[in-house]
Amino acid sequence: MYKKQGIKAFLFLLPSLAGLVLFNLIPIFVSLMLSFTDWSGMSRVRLFHGFFQFVGDKFVGVSNYSQLVKDSEFWAVLRHNAYFILLYLPLVLLFSLLVALIIQQKSRIAPVYRMLYYIPVLTSWVAGALIWKWMLSPEYGPINNVLASLGIKGPLWLQSEVWAMPSIVLASVWKDMGFYGMILLSGLLAINPEYYEAADIDGAGYFHKFKCITLPLLSPILFYVIMLSLINAFQLFPQIMVMTKNGDAGPNGATMVMVERIYKYAFKFGRMGYAAAWSWVLFVIIFAFTALQNVLQRKWVYYDT
Amino acid sequence: MMMKVTKRCIWWVSAMVCASVLLSGCNSNTAEKPASGENVTIRLDQFSGNGESEEALKKMIAKFNEQHPDVTVELQSFGYDDYFTQLQSKVVGGSAADVFELNFENFVAYASEDVLLDVGGLMGDSSGFNQTALKAFQYKGKQLGIPNSFSNVVLIYNKDLFDKAGAAYPTDDWTWAEMLEAAKKVRALSQDTYGLYRPISFHEFYKGVKQNGGNLLSEDGKKFTVNLPQNVETLKIMSGWVKDSNIMPSDAQMGGMGDWDLFKSGRLGMIITGIWAFGDFADNCNFAWDVAMEPGNTTKATHFFSNAYVVNKETANPEAAAALAAFLSGSKEAAQIRVDSSWELPPVTYSDVLDFYLKVTPPENREAVFKSLDYLVTPPVVKQQSEMQEIITKHLNNAISGNVSAKDALDACQAELEQKINLE
Amino acid sequence: MIRKAVPGVLYHLTAVLLSVVTLLPFFWMLSTSFKDYGAIMALPIQWIPRNPTLKNFSDLFSKEGLTVSIFNSLVVSISSVVVTIISSSMAAFAFAKLDFRGKNAVFLFYLATMMIPSQVLFIPLYLLMGELKLVDSLGALVLPSVFKVFAVFMLRQRMMTIPSVYLEAPAIDGAGVFTVFVRIICPMCKSSLATLAIICFMDAWNDYLLPLVMLTTKTKFTLPIILSSLNGQYKSEYNLLMAGALVSMLPILVVYAFAQKYFAAGLQVGGVKG
Repeated sequence: MYKKQGIKAFLFLLPSLAGLVLFNLIPIFVSLMLSFTDWSGMSRVRLFHGFFQFVGDKFVGVSNYSQLVKDSEFWAVLRHNAYFILLYLPLVLLFSLLVALIIQQKSRIAPVYRMLYYIPVLTSWVAGALIWKWMLSPEYGPINNVLASLGIKGPLWLQSEVWAMPSIVLASVWKDMGFYGMILLSGLLAINPEYYEAADIDGAGYFHKFKCITLPLLSPILFYVIMLSLINAFQLFPQIMVMTKNGDAGPNGATMVMVERIYKYAFKFGRMGYAAAWSWVLFVIIFAFTALQNVLQRKWVYYDT
Repeated sequence: MMMKVTKRCIWWVSAMVCASVLLSGCNSNTAEKPASGENVTIRLDQFSGNGESEEALKKMIAKFNEQHPDVTVELQSFGYDDYFTQLQSKVVGGSAADVFELNFENFVAYASEDVLLDVGGLMGDSSGFNQTALKAFQYKGKQLGIPNSFSNVVLIYNKDLFDKAGAAYPTDDWTWAEMLEAAKKVRALSQDTYGLYRPISFHEFYKGVKQNGGNLLSEDGKKFTVNLPQNVETLKIMSGWVKDSNIMPSDAQMGGMGDWDLFKSGRLGMIITGIWAFGDFADNCNFAWDVAMEPGNTTKATHFFSNAYVVNKETANPEAAAALAAFLSGSKEAAQIRVDSSWELPPVTYSDVLDFYLKVTPPENREAVFKSLDYLVTPPVVKQQSEMQEIITKHLNNAISGNVSAKDALDACQAELEQKINLE
Repeated sequence: MIRKAVPGVLYHLTAVLLSVVTLLPFFWMLSTSFKDYGAIMALPIQWIPRNPTLKNFSDLFSKEGLTVSIFNSLVVSISSVVVTIISSSMAAFAFAKLDFRGKNAVFLFYLATMMIPSQVLFIPLYLLMGELKLVDSLGALVLPSVFKVFAVFMLRQRMMTIPSVYLEAPAIDGAGVFTVFVRIICPMCKSSLATLAIICFMDAWNDYLLPLVMLTTKTKFTLPIILSSLNGQYKSEYNLLMAGALVSMLPILVVYAFAQKYFAAGLQVGGVKG
């Protein structure tokens, strides 16, 4: 069809490329430079005036990185992140798929559900996390009071080393299921109804249709949702910042996670260089995961072209 | 064909650029240049004055303007939590206010970064200042900050609960043993009445260790000594208050309630907290309460807290900025306003102002505030202060809420501190 | 047609249960925001406030900056949506339907940037905005949304499911790429665009750290900053905090209630025609 699309493609990409260079590549480059310095992040720096001189003055080589891998805290943080993802990812996928399937039905009440399930997404994390902190109050919160009325003694939730992370997962699934549900829904609605009609003629049951039509045709969007939720899960932060006690890292550091550490080192502990090193390590980890996903997707994602 | 497409694309792009430019129209205010003899504007950012105390601060600024009519002060007040994040980005970007506030913990970090102006020669007569407070904000011989407030920690107790429990009121020579006995009596009153609350924090532990003859750092400040036997004993006693006698509520028993709230609700016999609670308690406690010097174990020790105004090294008007900082901190007028509004102690030695402080009740026994000053301990300030505090707090909580023994917790704490905190 | 196959009871049971789970926190927030301080610490807990009061709200609105911050948040959010939609749909189209050298490499590069934790880019971004004289302006929050990888990615995924015939037929008729993009591809992606618009709106609305770092004047603060400072000041006064949470949600709920109609229509159109 169209030949020589290079120039056209460039024009279409221009605004986003400009943003890429200006607001991403430059800051990324700067943060990479900073990760080799011991800058505290508390002194005056100018980007276009003597930045390299500044980096040279504060240069410490790879010592931030070597300190990081030697730090037992780093490995504990990795475990916490992995634990969160293991709990969160299956739950959020299950619930968002449920949300999408419920809303997709052509019943009169479906639009009402669509509206309801989206409300948590509309809520800012600051507000949402405050609400959940209050919901999970061991003494005065509704959850433990309901459990108590059922004769179950509720856990201490955010104040317990064991339950702190599941509490964060709970709030996160609640907050995110409508979001991913809505993305999945747009995929569901894009499926050509003729496929279902054909299957109906063949007398296929609901679950058979779900498995043979819905899932394969949904797979590009599903892939997107998995990627997005995984990347977001690695970067979880605001809920932790608001929900755990005084913004500390939870009981015995149970909710200490990557971005929380990065934020603390950058803005609380006056170690910007070390924080930059942390974030580059986080980047490498996420990159590895995403590359893996991209390889795996060829086995299960189906493009209807 | 190609041309048309190109043109359209260009239109789209330029439309977006226009939109962006419009959006950013409300641009940042560029730094104002000083003009000698004319009006200068001094920006003041601070966090300690909120609500009523912010009103007091505005009154102080009005007083300042009576003496310096040519200085316009632009006051911005921030919540404590966000203040330091914002301050950091402002300092990095060179847009920090001319005068801003620092707490004791952050002072060293900024002082060592050479962003603060030496105000020693600009602040005028400093003899009216409390010298302990003033010295705290010197760094390598330079006066880089002017303390604006001064406070310490006392024992505040609910007289009604003490009467009900038949316990004698605290006296200045109490030790932890008497405190525990009284607390037990109050705790016995009902299921959800507690005897004592003493926050589990770095500051409280540091002071507790001192009260028991220990220390967290070696004399020269070059080595951590967190797991000394006296320190382990201190932590054992403190965790015993929660775990064994339960005179002090655990996190779970607090149920997300703040310690001041617990006291104001009338369910707490004693609380160890700063004198800045007086105003709130005076307004919101519907029972009789008073204060006493804080009990120690083998020796007495009490905390010293202070915030300071510092002057931005890049300010265009160093004289006016330093004059403002000095006036708000140490002038008699400002000190009087500070006392009138029950907003911590002014860091000054004017006896008439301080006498007035004593006359405000409750609490009756304000003398305790001044008597405590004889036992001031200043917490160690290291460059990685916040990081150190987080590590120590984490291990304290492990011992108090978790199942780690005091010895193990402090051993682990010592190891982690040695690994991460550089004492230079 | 699918509905027939699903046992109706199971469907409604699941839907209602999920609704209860979703709404319970909001009910609790609503209930708490009308209680006084004593009532929130009362046991047994009061599901419905026994002595409802409006004091929390009057306290809240007496705090300076709340109303302005709602306005600021709206300006930032709407502008971000416009900028993101235009720039991302164009980029997505190039990736999905145009051929050019190095396409996969560039796209992978795009994806890679998504994995950089944005928190550590704040200080460099702040330095950059400083050089552009944009610090302490709402533009500093809007401009970066010209490059939103997730939006590009989502639209690209959607556009890739559009069979190439839709492009080939107009091309034979002599229509240019841009016409195809505006007249055919964009309308077909309406549902995704509508979804994206709402997502971007929320992102900007909820953003907390970037405005915290970029804005330094109180009159320019956005709502989450004000809310977070309330959290700092009134640590356990959940009645006031919940009132604040409620107020922070209201404008967005109103917008959503109106947008919902168009949003839903977008989904339907996209669904039938896609």
